[in-house]
Amino acid sequence: MTTAEEHKAKGSGKDLVVYLCVLALAAIQFVIAYQNIDGSQMFVRMLIVAVIEAGLALLFFMHLAENRGLLWFVVIFTVFVLLAMQYGWTDSFRLSVGVAGAK
Amino acid sequence: MHDMSHTVHHHAPPTSFIRKHIFSLDHKVIGKQYYGLALVAVLVGMVLSWIMRIHLGWTNYAIPGLHLLSSNGAPGNVMTPEYYLQLMTMHATIMVFFVLTTAPFAAFGNYFLPIQVGAEDMPFPHFNMMSFWVTFVAFLVLVASFFVGDGPTLGGWTQYAPLSAVGAVGGPGEGMGVVLWAASIAIFCVGQLLGSLNFITTTLDMRTRGMSLWRLPLSAWAWFITSCMGLTAFAVLMPACILLILDHVAGTSFFVPSNLVINDQLQPHSGGSTLLWQHLFWFFGHPEVYIAIVPGMGIVSHVLITNMRKPMLSHRVMVYSMGALAVLSYMVYGHHMFVSGMNPVSSLAFSFPTLIITIPSTIIVLIWLGSLYGAKLRINTASLFALGFVSMFISGGVSGFFLAQPSIDIMLHATYFVVGHFHMVMGVAAMFGIFAGTYFWFPKIFGRMMNETLGKVHFWLSFVGTYCIFMPFHYLGMAGNVRRYQAFVIEYMQPLIPVHRFITVAALVTGAAQFIFLYNLIHSRFWGKPATDNPWQATSLEWSTPTTPPPHNNFGDKLPVVYHDPYQYGVESSTGDYLMQASPEQVKTAYDEA
Amino acid sequence: MSQADLTMGGRPAGLTAGPAFSVPAKKMAMWLFIIADTATFAACLVAYGFIRNATPNWPRPFHSITNVAIMTFILVTSSLTMLIGVRAARAGDKAGALRWTFITAAAGILFALLHVREWLALIAEGMTLFKNPWGTGLFGSAFFSITGLHLTHVTGGVIALIVVGIRYKGSRYNADDLEILGLYWHFVDMVWMFVVPLVYLLNLAH
Repeated sequence: MTTAEEHKAKGSGKDLVVYLCVLALAAIQFVIAYQNIDGSQMFVRMLIVAVIEAGLALLFFMHLAENRGLLWFVVIFTVFVLLAMQYGWTDSFRLSVGVAGAK
Repeated sequence: MHDMSHTVHHHAPPTSFIRKHIFSLDHKVIGKQYYGLALVAVLVGMVLSWIMRIHLGWTNYAIPGLHLLSSNGAPGNVMTPEYYLQLMTMHATIMVFFVLTTAPFAAFGNYFLPIQVGAEDMPFPHFNMMSFWVTFVAFLVLVASFFVGDGPTLGGWTQYAPLSAVGAVGGPGEGMGVVLWAASIAIFCVGQLLGSLNFITTTLDMRTRGMSLWRLPLSAWAWFITSCMGLTAFAVLMPACILLILDHVAGTSFFVPSNLVINDQLQPHSGGSTLLWQHLFWFFGHPEVYIAIVPGMGIVSHVLITNMRKPMLSHRVMVYSMGALAVLSYMVYGHHMFVSGMNPVSSLAFSFPTLIITIPSTIIVLIWLGSLYGAKLRINTASLFALGFVSMFISGGVSGFFLAQPSIDIMLHATYFVVGHFHMVMGVAAMFGIFAGTYFWFPKIFGRMMNETLGKVHFWLSFVGTYCIFMPFHYLGMAGNVRRYQAFVIEYMQPLIPVHRFITVAALVTGAAQFIFLYNLIHSRFWGKPATDNPWQATSLEWSTPTTPPPHNNFGDKLPVVYHDPYQYGVESSTGDYLMQASPEQVKTAYDEA
Repeated sequence: MSQADLTMGGRPAGLTAGPAFSVPAKKMAMWLFIIADTATFAACLVAYGFIRNATPNWPRPFHSITNVAIMTFILVTSSLTMLIGVRAARAGDKAGALRWTFITAAAGILFALLHVREWLALIAEGMTLFKNPWGTGLFGSAFFSITGLHLTHVTGGVIALIVVGIRYKGSRYNADDLEILGLYWHFVDMVWMFVVPLVYLLNLAH
C-alpha cells in the first residue's frame, strides 16, 4: 500500500490511459457495426471487444488488478455461472434450424 | 483509515418491544422469526397435502368446510379438478420456498452461523432484518392468491409456460393467481439475496481470531456453500418471474409461441419460446434443490459428530463434496427437461454431469456410514433424526440414478416415481434435517430441553410414516401412475387406488404425528427442563456462550479465541472426552488437521 | 442506517481471523451483489439472444448511432469522474471528492435523460412493449426490458451517489464508502458495454 497522495498521483494517470482505451474499444464496436459482415461474425467480434472492455474496467476501474485473490474469486464465480447459462442455446438454434444431427 | 468504534458491542441491546421482537436487528431473533414463518408455512402446506390426499384416495368425498376456502373451487365441499391443481401448486410453492429454503438455511443459519464463526452479529443487521420481512411479505402475497379472483395458480411450482403466461384463458388462477405467484417469488428472491450477502460476508469476514476456514464446523460450511448457490440462483429466477409478469400485464410474449390456440381461442401472442422459461426456471430450480438439502447435510453431520463423539472420517472431503454439489448443481438442471422437447443433444450433455453429481453425494453418504461404523452413537431424538436424514437421503437418492438417464426418464417422467424421488431426497430428508437441528439446538435457543420421550415417539411415527407414504410412490410410478392427476378414472390405474388409499391413511397419521412435535416445541419452550450451557458436551462455539440463550452480542464483552479444529472428541481433557474450540487447553489430539 | 452498519468491517485486526482477500465486509458485499447482478443481467441478455436467435427476420430498425454513442461516452466518462472522486477522497481532499461525486451523478442524470428521450422517440414511432412497426413484437419487449433494467440501475446509482455524497459531506460515510459505491457505478458502466453492441449495434439497419 502506498500512501494516499502517491496513490492519487500515480493512479490518476493510469486511470486516464485506461479510460481512453475503453473509449477506443467502444469506438471499435461502433466501427464493427458498420462493417459489411454476417450477423454472427459481427456478434462474435463485438462480444470479444466487449469482454476486453469489461476486463479493463474490472482490473483497473474496479481495482481487481491490485487484489489477486479477490480477482480469482470474482472471475471464477462469475464466469462459471455465465458459462452454465449457455446450455439453452441448443434449443434456440433448433427452433430456427432444426435438431442437430437429426438427418 | 477506519475512524470507527472498536468496541465489541456494535449495537446496544434494544429495549422497546418492537425493536426487540418485531423489527429486530439481532440475528438470533431473525433466525427465530424465520423458523416461526417456516412453522406456519409447513402447517399450511401439510393441511393442503391432507386435503389432496383425501381427494386422491376417495374422489368426490366431501371434505367438511372446504367450500369456505373457495366456493368455486370446491362446490359442495368436493374439489374440482382445477382446484386440486391449485392446491397442489400452493403446497409445492409453500414447501419449497417457505419451508425447505427458510428453515434449514435462513432460520438455523441466521441463528448459528454468526455464533459458530465467533461473531457478535452479521455484518449488515439491517439487511438481515429486511431479508426476513421481505420474505414475510412474499409469503403474504402468495397466500393472498387464495382469496383473489378464481384462486391461486394451478401451474405447479414450476409454472411451465405457455399456460402460465397466457393469462386467465389458461384456466382458473392463471390470471391474477400467476401474477401474485410470480410477484411473491420475485420478492422472495430479493430476501434471499440479502440473506446470502450476509451469510457469505459473515463467513469470510467475521470469523473470530483463530477461526481459520478449516476450523469452521460442517454446519457453517454448509450454510456458506448454500449461500453461494443462493446468490446467483435467485438472481436468475427474479428476472424470469418479472418477464412472466410482463407477459401477463404488459402483453409481451417472452414465453408464448406464435399461433397458440387455447380453448379454441387464438392467442394474441407471437414469437416467444416455452422452453426459454424452462431454461431460466431450472437454472434456478436445480441449485434450489441443493439449497434445500445442503444445510441439512451440514446440520446432520454436526449432530452426528457430537453424538458419535468422534469427527467424520474426513472433514475436508466432506466440505469438498458439498462444494462439488454446489458447482455441479448449476450444470445438471436440464435433467428436469428430458421430455420437454429439449434438444436431445442437450439431454446427453445434461445426463453426464447428472450422473457425476451422484459421486459427491455418494462420498458424503459413505463418509457418514463409514464414520458411524463402530461409533458408539448416543441415541437421542436429534441423532435419530440425523440417522433418519441419512436413510431418506439414500433411499431417495438411489431413485435418482434411474432418473438421471434420459432413456429411463422418458418412461418414468411425470409419474409418481419422480414425486416419490424428490419428496424423499429433498422434502422429507431436509425436513428431518430441520427436526434434527431443532432437537439439537433447542436447548441453546430457549434454555430448556425438549421432551425426549415425545421426541422419540415423534421420530418413529415420522420415520415409519414417511416411508409408508413415499415408498409406494415409486411403485405407483413404475406402474404408470401419472402425477398431477386429481382422480384415477383410467382403467389401468383403477387397481392402484387401494395403494393411494393406504398412502392417504399414512399421510393423515404421519401428519397428525407432527402435532406431537408442535406440542413438544411449545410445551418445552415454557415448561421444559432447564438446560445447561452445553447439554450435549459439544465443542463448537455456540456452546461457549456465557449464557443460555446467548446474550444480545453472543459472547458478552469478549469475543472467543479459537484454538482447535471444530470436532475434538475422543480426547482426554480436563472437561472429559472433548475439548471445546475456545478452550486454550492443549491435549494430545488425534484430529488437528488445520 | 445506524452505527451498526458503519462499524462493520472496521473491527480491529486483532479480533478477527482477518477478512478473506483482505476485503472488509462492506466491499465484499458489494462484490457479491455485483456477481448476483451479473447473473441477473446475463439471464436477461441470454433470454434476448435465445428469442432473437429463434426468430427469423428479427427487425433491425435503428438508423442512427449518434444518441447511443453520446450516451456511451457520457457513461464511460462518468466512470472516470468517479475514479477521480475516489482518489480525491483517498487523498483527503473532501471538497474535490464531493465535487467529482456530484459531477458523476450529474452525468448519470444526463445519461438517464438522453435514454428517456430516446425511449419517447421510439414510442412515438409506434414501438411499445408488445408491438412495433418493424416486425416481431418481441423486439420492443426485449429492448425495453433490458434497457429498462439498466436504466433502473443508473437511476438507483444516481440516487445512491447523491445520498452517499451528502452523507460523505456530513462525515457519516468515508472514502471507503465512496469507493464501494464506485464499484457499483463501474459495474453499471460495464453492463452498458454489453448492452450497446447486443441491443443497439446488432439491430442497426444496413
